[in-house]
This record gives sequence, structure tokens and C-alpha cells, in this order.
Amino acid sequence: MQVAKPKEGKQKKIRGSKNKGEGGGGGGDADDFDAWMKSRQLIKPDDQLDLTEAELGEEVTKVLTPTNTNVLRNLVVFSFKEGEYVSAPMPGNTVTLISFPGNSLHVDSEEARIQVEESDEIGYPLPMPNYSVVEQRETVMEGEEEGEGEGEEDEKSDIGSKHGHIAGEEEEAEEEEDEEGKATEGEAATETEAAGEDEEQGGVQQAVATPGKKRKLINQFNYCERATLTYVNPKRNVDTQTIPPPRSQFGANVLQWVIYDTYMEDYEEQQKTGHIHGDQRRRSTKKSFKKKTALAEQLNRKYVRCWQILERMINQNIYDDIGNDYRYWEDPADEYREGEGNLLPLWKFQYEKTKKMNVTEITFNPSYYDLFAVCFGSHDFLKQPNEGYLCLFTVKNPSYPDYIIQTDCGVMCCDIHPHYPFLVVIGLYDGNVAVYDLRDGCKEPMYVSRGVKCKHAECVWQIKWGPDMVDGEINFYSVSSDGCVFNWILMQNKLWVTTIITLYLENGIADGPDGTKVTLRSGGSCVQFHPTDTAVFLVGTECGLIYKCSTAFSSKYLMTYYAHNMSVYRIDYNRFDSNIFVSCSGDWRVKVWEDMRADPLFIFDLGSAVGDVKWAPYSSTVFAAVTTEGKVHVFDLNVNKYKPICVQAVVPKRKNKLTRLAFNEKLPFIVVGDEKGVTTSLKLSPNLRIMVKPPKKQLYLDQLTLQNAKLEKLLSLVRELPEGSPVPDAATTART
Amino acid sequence: MADDEGGKEGDKKIVHTYPLVKHTDMKEEMRQEVIDLSVSVCEKYSSNYELAAKTIKETMDKKFGIYWHVVVGEGFGFEVSYETENILYLFFAGNLAVVLWKCS
Repeated sequence: MQVAKPKEGKQKKIRGSKNKGEGGGGGGDADDFDAWMKSRQLIKPDDQLDLTEAELGEEVTKVLTPTNTNVLRNLVVFSFKEGEYVSAPMPGNTVTLISFPGNSLHVDSEEARIQVEESDEIGYPLPMPNYSVVEQRETVMEGEEEGEGEGEEDEKSDIGSKHGHIAGEEEEAEEEEDEEGKATEGEAATETEAAGEDEEQGGVQQAVATPGKKRKLINQFNYCERATLTYVNPKRNVDTQTIPPPRSQFGANVLQWVIYDTYMEDYEEQQKTGHIHGDQRRRSTKKSFKKKTALAEQLNRKYVRCWQILERMINQNIYDDIGNDYRYWEDPADEYREGEGNLLPLWKFQYEKTKKMNVTEITFNPSYYDLFAVCFGSHDFLKQPNEGYLCLFTVKNPSYPDYIIQTDCGVMCCDIHPHYPFLVVIGLYDGNVAVYDLRDGCKEPMYVSRGVKCKHAECVWQIKWGPDMVDGEINFYSVSSDGCVFNWILMQNKLWVTTIITLYLENGIADGPDGTKVTLRSGGSCVQFHPTDTAVFLVGTECGLIYKCSTAFSSKYLMTYYAHNMSVYRIDYNRFDSNIFVSCSGDWRVKVWEDMRADPLFIFDLGSAVGDVKWAPYSSTVFAAVTTEGKVHVFDLNVNKYKPICVQAVVPKRKNKLTRLAFNEKLPFIVVGDEKGVTTSLKLSPNLRIMVKPPKKQLYLDQLTLQNAKLEKLLSLVRELPEGSPVPDAATTART
Repeated sequence: MADDEGGKEGDKKIVHTYPLVKHTDMKEEMRQEVIDLSVSVCEKYSSNYELAAKTIKETMDKKFGIYWHVVVGEGFGFEVSYETENILYLFFAGNLAVVLWKCS
């Protein structure tokens, strides 16, 4: 609300007072007014002039001008910018005393009318159905009437503000009368205000209850506020004191000479140690490089190990059925076949690079029953490859060899040390021998024969670790086509070779050139050590003889067996009775011999050259042989003395030949090698591994005794008395 | 005095300008980074030590946490407390000393 032009207001007042003073000039309304006034005493200000009637009646002319005479017109302000006084701009005519934006509406205004209509339709703008609230509203209204003269009472606002208070009271009384008039219970209008207030409640109730009454404009500020105080969570402080970071003190003075001296010192130091520094750096870089490579190597090994495990797992999954057969398959047909058995092929082991080579030797590792070494070379002396391999396979991973050793000529034989399962010795086609340590990787041999004299002149046919020497040196024996048996001792840094025996032919002196005599040698083709008497060994020769020799003396044979007509390929001692051994040869024959008996006990003709023969580790009467026809023959002399109990072709007859054979020491399966570089594992059916049942009266006897007894019984049947000598019973049964 | 000596020795004197660490207990990686920073900034603002010090300080605050203090000058003395492993006292360009330390 803007209060503008106070002058005019003043003038009005003056006029008003004049009217009052004049008294009776007013209309009907004025009479009522005067009636009121009489009962009141007018209070005069102290400084009011006392004027006579004439003075009062004097007319004072006031001229209203549109210009404000009080405004300063020549006001100047010093302008620093221009350096002189400049006239200030004229102030406006408007003087703002109070600014109070309100949202009250005049009851007669259009907007108020609309609001009333709306509230009629909708009800109160604020929902207030509560009676007490209505009552409150009315009391508030009372106050408002006095202050602002709003609401219905605005009608009377033209009476003048000085009457406001009285008008308010009057109005209230009027209102009361109004309500009570409508009420069923009539009440005296002359009751006091307080009494009226008391009864107002009832009256209001009725007022609300009776529709049609003109609704009052409500005050939008009139509302009820409700609040609830909720539980205030108590606050708590938790603090911890941490250890402050460590601090140190340092101080120095920076002066030019300090800087200069420091530089000079450092320079001298550098001059002195410059070279050494350089060297050290180079050395350290070298060292660090070595360290790094070593670390990388270690890491690689770990990785390789992980990959190997993964590979094995994959293989196990791929060959799951074979794996189950390998462990658990027992041919049920064997129960109905008397004296016959069969072989179940399991995995085939091959290596990409040895596909066209021959398997020249198979040996199981004595410590790890699943690991076996396979040598790759060639038996065809016209087609010797210029590389050879020794691969160590495990049945746990048929797809790839665990260790691969490559050589520059064919590997003809190998042996794994019985006490140091990581030591592998190989014999090469060129007469050299080499010892590898599998732990150090398979790149370089630990020992290798060097020089012309420290090697065999011809192909090394078989190689065997010997028992350690008296002073603990590791040594091995080798036999070669050049007719020599060598003993090799692993010295600190070289191989020490001694000749054990030279295989001279008896009566083999031929005429040499210029009338000299040449002693003929027979080429050795295989060697086998006696299992119990470590000094005694058998050597098979290319001319079909078997010599029984001793490491103790090099000139004499303990025994000569005229065994075969062609080269003896392999000899094997019986696992239970070391007096019995078996030999095989290119003359198609397999013969079982007894120690110191010139004639064989058994002779079997297998129809083709026999590459290898081995006694079974589990039975004293079972042995197996492989032939160039591609067949595996398994004999059990206890079951059948004349025929093999199993003959099975493993490889095609025309295309391939079997060369070598090995029994697994622990599980009933064999591995056979062929000429195409493939090693096949075969499971022995139950009939091929019949154990001896102890007789009912002697259940306490163990298998070893029983096996010996079985063999002895068998031998006694076939043994013929040698001419003119008694049966060497004591010798053959010495161990039992 | 130092200038006089330098003048007399004129021919002999070799002016070393490489950064020379007089004292530090920083870890190797941090030290190398700080030296590189100090050298590059001092070369950049070779005529305005104030700006050089300010730049080094601000960069250090960003890289290694706040409250670094840097002094760059040709002659001054100092005695400071610092958080251990956070000081570097470095000579550079033959006549300049840079001290950086952290203390919060």
C-alpha cells in the first residue's frame, strides 16, 4: 500500500475537523454520530491554538499546485571527473514512506466476488471442518477489523479510522444478535461481551449447521499448524589419535663458495672412481641380465609344469575309456578259454619327428612305473638317419613325450640307472655313448665319449648300468659290433673307459696280409648281467654264440653256448630263478637256457625273426617275444610247453615290423615298439598272468616261493641228464 | 670473495652445471622425478627465482600431496623440520641452490 501525497491527507483531515466543528451541517447519519460524540470528551493537544469564532470562521485560502515547492532546484554536486560542480538531477515528486505489498482484496472488487463464488461452489479454499478452527477464525477476524478494517466491515470503513474500534465492537454485537436471532433459543441482546463469547460456540455451531447464510471471506493466512517432536538421536563423538608421520630436521647455509666446493669435490670423486664406476656398471648390468634370465627360466619352468598338468588332464579326458580299460578291464572271455589269452591295445605313443625311425630300445624307468624311455634309430644299415631321439613317455600323457633328447645319429640303446632314475645313458650308432641328466633339461649331455680311442668302433648294441664301484663311482657297460665290452666310469669331469673283454673267436685266427695272423672277433649284439652275481654277464654275438663272462678276467669265457645260427638279439634272465635265461635271434628261434647247460631246455620257432624277448616280472614261467611279422607271442610254460598261449598281430604284416618289447614292472601291460616309430601299449588279459594258487595245506607260502616251485617242477620235467654228469640239483635250487 | 677467486683462476675453473644432490632422503623414484622437475623449471625460469620456486612448489603439491616448501636462491640459510623422506637439497647450474621439503 503506497501512501502518497501526505499533504492532501492533511488537508482532508483539516476539513474533517472543520466539519466536526461546524456540527449540524451533516445528514441523518451525522445525527447518530453526534449522539455518539456527546458521550465522549474530546482531548485537545496542549499546543492547540485557542481561536475565537471569528478567527475560526475566517477563510484560509490554500492553493494546490502541481509542483512541489519544497523540492530543491539548485542542488549541485561536485564531480571529480569534470573537476567542477554540476547540477544534480531533480528528485522526483514521489516519496515512499512505506512499501507493503499485500494480497488483500476489496470486498466489492471483481476478484473478491469471483472468490466468494468459487468458495460457494467448492467450499473453503482451505479445508477447515473443525469447529474450533472456525471459532478461532472469528476471533482473529475481530483483531483484523480493528487493524485493517477488512472483510465485511469494510462497508463501514468510510466512517473513519477513529471509529474503527467502536465499529468493531458494534459489529460483533450485531453479529451476535444476528446469530441468536436465528437460533431457536433466544437470548438477551444486552448481555455482556464476555457472556456473548461464552455462548458463541453454540451459536457458531448452529451457524455452520444452517446453510444459506452468507459465507464470509476467509483469510488464507488462517490455518492450523500441527507438529510433532520426534525422538532426537543423541550425537556422540568418537575420535582416535593416530601417530603423526615422522619428521626430521635439516639445516644448511647456502653460500656461493659452498656450492663451488661441493661441485669441485664431486668432480674429483668422479675423476677418481670414473673408470671403476663404468666397469661396475657394466658388470652390474651383466649380472642383472643373468639374474633376469635365470628368473625367466624359473618362471618358464613353472609355466611348463602348469601346462604339463593341464595337458595330462586333457589327455585323461580324451582317453578316458582307454584309461578305464588300462586299469580295470579284465577280459571276461578268458574264463571260458582254457590256456589262451589275448592282448588289448591301449594307447599308441608317437612323436612327430620320429615317425620314420625304428624303435631300437624300450626301457621302463625303475622308479616311476608309468615312465618309459624309447630310443629311435634305424636297424637298416643302409638308411641311417643323421639324427636320433630318446623320448621318455608316460602313460599319463600319451600324446607327447615328457622328455626329448636329440642326438646327431641314431640312438641304438639306452638304460636308466636303477638308483638314480634321472640318469640315462644312451649308445649311438656311431659308437659313442652319452649320459644325460634329465633334471638339467635334455639339451646337453652330462658326459659324452670323446676321441677315436674312447669310443666303440662300431654301433653300440646294448648298454647297461653296472653296480656302483667300491669307491662309489657310477659306471656302465656297453657292447658293440666291434667285439668289445667296455666299462665306462663317470669321473669328475670325464668318462673313463676300460675294456672288460674282447670277444675273440675260439680258433679264429685268420691269415692276414704279409703272413701276419689276425685274431677274429665276433661282434657283440647284446649283453645281460646276472641279477645276483654282479660280476657275471652274458654276451650275445652276431654269429649266434652266447658267452658267459665275468668282469673279473678278460681273457677267458666261463661258458660258451652255441645258441643260434644267426645274430642273438636279446637275452633276458628269469626274474625268479637267475639260472634260467631266454634268448632270441634272427633265426626265428627263442630258446630257454639253464646256466651251465649247453643245450637249451626249450626251443620255440616263431616263424620269423624275433626282435626281443622278455621274462614277465610277475610270473616265473611267462615270457613274451615280438617278431618281425608284427606279432606278439606270449608263453606260459606252465600252461603250455609247446605253444604260445597268445599270438596277436599288433601291426600289419607287410608294412611294419615289431622290434622291441618291455613289461611294465607294476601293472599288467607291455609296450612294443615297431619300425614306424610307434610304441603301442597292450594290456595282458587275465589268462596271460595266472598266478600260482597255494595248495590248501600250505596257504602260508608266498608267491615267490610258489613261483620258484612252479618253475622247478617244470624244469625237472624237461631237464635231461647231461652226459656223464649228475643233475645239478643243488645249483638250480640254490636260491630257494 | 668467491667471485674474486673465480676471476683469478679464470682459466682453471671449470663451471659445473649438472644437478648435484647435496642432501636427500627421498626414495630413488621420487628423487629422480624431483631432480628432473627442479632442473627443468630452473632452466625455464633462470632469471626469476621467485617464479621458479612457485612453479616447483605448485607442481610438487600436485604430484606428491600438499604443503611443499621450496627455496630457490644463490645465498641463504635454512633450518627446517620436514616429514621424513621428503627433502631434497640440490645444487644446480653452478651457483644455484634449491631446497624442497614437505611439512604439513
